[in-house]
Amino acid sequence: MTQTSQKPAIEVRDLSLRFGGLQALNEIDLDIRPGEILAIIGPNGAGKTSFLNCINGFYHPYRGQIIYQNKDLTRLKPHKIAELGIARTFQNIELFSGLSALDNLMAARHVHMKRGALLGCLYFGPSRREEIAHREEIEEIIDLLEMEAIRKKVVGSLPYGQRKRVDLARALCMDPKVLLLDEPMAGMNVEEKEDMARFILDIFELKKIPIVLIEHDMDVVMDITQRVAVLDFGIKIAEGTPQEIEDDERVIRAYLGEE
Amino acid sequence: MAVETLPQALKENYIKYGSRAVAMRVKDRGIWKEYTWQDYYLKVKYFCLGLMHLGLQQGDHVSILGENKPEWNWAELAVQSAGGAVAGIFTDCRPEEVKYYAEHSDSVFAVCHDQEQVDKFLEIKDELPKLKKVIYWDPKGLWSYKDPILISFDEVIELGKARDKENPQAYEDMVNQGKGDDIAALCYTSGTTGLPKGAMLSQKWLVDFVIDWGKYDGWIGKGYEYLSFIPPAWATEQGLGIAGAILGPLTVNFPEEPETVQENIREIGPHVLFFGARLWENLNRMIQAKMMDSTYFRRLIYRTALPIGLKVAGMRTGGRKPGLIWRIIYFLAHHAVFRQLRDRIGLSNVRIVYSAGAAVSPDIIKYFQAIGVDVRLFYGSTEQGVNSLPLAGDIRPETSGLPVPWVEIKLSEEGEILIKNQYPFSGYYKDPEATQKKVKDGWYYTGDFGHLDESGHLIVMDRMDDLKELAGGKKFSPQYTEIRLRFSPYIKDVLILGGPDKEFVTALVNIDLENVGRFAEAKHIAYTTFTDLSQKPEVIELIKKEIDKVNATLPEWTKVKRFVNLHKEFDADEEELTRTRKLRRSFVEKRYEHLIKALYGDQELYTVEATVTYRDGRKGTIQTAIHVTDV
Repeated sequence: MTQTSQKPAIEVRDLSLRFGGLQALNEIDLDIRPGEILAIIGPNGAGKTSFLNCINGFYHPYRGQIIYQNKDLTRLKPHKIAELGIARTFQNIELFSGLSALDNLMAARHVHMKRGALLGCLYFGPSRREEIAHREEIEEIIDLLEMEAIRKKVVGSLPYGQRKRVDLARALCMDPKVLLLDEPMAGMNVEEKEDMARFILDIFELKKIPIVLIEHDMDVVMDITQRVAVLDFGIKIAEGTPQEIEDDERVIRAYLGEE
Repeated sequence: MAVETLPQALKENYIKYGSRAVAMRVKDRGIWKEYTWQDYYLKVKYFCLGLMHLGLQQGDHVSILGENKPEWNWAELAVQSAGGAVAGIFTDCRPEEVKYYAEHSDSVFAVCHDQEQVDKFLEIKDELPKLKKVIYWDPKGLWSYKDPILISFDEVIELGKARDKENPQAYEDMVNQGKGDDIAALCYTSGTTGLPKGAMLSQKWLVDFVIDWGKYDGWIGKGYEYLSFIPPAWATEQGLGIAGAILGPLTVNFPEEPETVQENIREIGPHVLFFGARLWENLNRMIQAKMMDSTYFRRLIYRTALPIGLKVAGMRTGGRKPGLIWRIIYFLAHHAVFRQLRDRIGLSNVRIVYSAGAAVSPDIIKYFQAIGVDVRLFYGSTEQGVNSLPLAGDIRPETSGLPVPWVEIKLSEEGEILIKNQYPFSGYYKDPEATQKKVKDGWYYTGDFGHLDESGHLIVMDRMDDLKELAGGKKFSPQYTEIRLRFSPYIKDVLILGGPDKEFVTALVNIDLENVGRFAEAKHIAYTTFTDLSQKPEVIELIKKEIDKVNATLPEWTKVKRFVNLHKEFDADEEELTRTRKLRRSFVEKRYEHLIKALYGDQELYTVEATVTYRDGRKGTIQTAIHVTDV
């Protein structure tokens, strides 16, 4: 692969995050390369979600840099980072549960909407054309993620696996340049997991963007990712191909505990 | 020139309607996209020429594997234009099965829906030397596939356009050469034994039979809307969605996804519809559940209107015309409830509603009749098309209606249904032996057991292979009787007994505790346990009446002559039922051996002592006197 020689999409340097006395992340160095699916694994409380939260601006680390398009993201607000094209999904699904799947997706497109609220209210001419254009984009995503049947269903009434799918669609609606997925397959049955894995691969092939995912299921990780980073107590203890990681002594110790 | 083939009929429609009438509609990206007859014709023409460019010869076979979409119809007509035949494959087939169909049908092309189906062919392509190309119409997920055997539907169309420029007359000439005897489709029948057989359907089957069917049942020339939903690999959809659509003509509507049918059907409001038995049951259950969630006031109106609907439907079934008063009351009920209800489930406009393939409970049929939807179960087969069909105004829940005019039905000595058909199939592909076994002296042996009632209506009961024999050699169908008895709300399960050593048919009945319990309460009958309730004289009388009702639809020798209400429920914990609640026949027969002996003896009371295994593993015995009752 030639990717190693390419400039990373996101460079994380010396990233450290602390909650009071708790060291959540400690001097993490990690490159997210263009054209790869990178998995972040680690035991509970290892700092995986905190790592994503730093990248998309929910947390501000006390030390270190996150370089994306020659900009340091560490001091930026989440909505600014979203506008720069970094989209994510959430472990606990953050959607408007009273709105339909479609409305949730339309709302997510707002970062790309040029007309203000006032013009939007009038809904004619340019605003109307803009809505239609966005709806077309969204229909492409609905097709991609096979959400036709739930398009007009209220999100709160959907089963968990499908809400996860809406969450992923919402992230895609932002037309991301980097996609961060926080446990996209947690709590799913085998069939739903297979579907989700297929969707992630489809997105990867179609959009050709780097995808970072936190995942516990090693089978999935082995199947769909090119590279894996392992966190344990806020420290990156290993990085490599899925095969290397599976055989790594430190990783086995982190998961199974010290003898 | 008389139209002999579907491509010729399509050409006529193209000349007659051009771009002025919609031939098909498909929902894509949330929008209904329309195709006119001109679009249809041109797609078929170019796809056909494209295939010929890739090496399709006259008379070649092509496999199609996908959901109901316009591309299926286009591909099928394109192949038929070249005098070829299509072999439809069901989308849920595993690669080994797909391989069998593609190999057996000698397919030179495979037309696939999407990645899922393409993957199947890529897995087996090395074992199919005759296969030239795999064509897909939905490119999703196939972006990075590089296999040279793949080509997209649109690319084939482009190839066809180029070829058309070279020789603009070629396609029409070819279509004009088509003959009614050309084989148009291979429909594989899921034989209960052995491998599936490919029934060859000719253009005559698709054109002449379907025109007769449409005229007989009145859906030709009405401009009806049709919802394409059943698998096109199935002969019924070949007749309705593909041939019927062109000959009707019907506007075919393709739902967005199988899961969105409920939503799409409402947007379309089709006139012609075919749902399988299970779907009617699901629809009924869905309505019941939604009503239960509704407000008290709405439920009250619904519960007032429904009995009115049932009453009037009952009158119509019995051949009586409801009186003026009833018509007024029904009119009110219709406007208060049924009209809105039908709108909600998308059945506002339905005129022609079919079901077939499996028994639908008479209660479900009556229910839909009550709200004004006449579901008609026809009897037919892949090989013989539609053989009997209840006509509007003469729908009886127990029967499959009168034989259709182009078919003659008689029964063999054993009770097998035999059919002589003006439009029979053309034999099984590469299997003349199997054809000979099924067709003797022009009569087709259906393998189905049934009889014709006094008014000539056909009643289909069971597969011949599943029949049991009574002493004296007469055959009967335990399953048919069991299914009919289970439709009764008071009977939860039943085992029908008989055999070469038995003179007549008997039944072991499991009462339905909940419904019989409610019956007992209403009649002020005190009872303690299931056992006690099951042996109450009133309950025995109730079950006897239910058996009487079913007996009335049975030929004399298969009527249930004696029964017992079992003292306990069949239980999966005791291995009497499988976990999916199917009766384990031989196990139960063995277990109640002595009781069954008593059924054929002359005692009226029989005492059982049964071991019961409790959930915690302990065992106990119960002793009960069971009444043996003559019907």
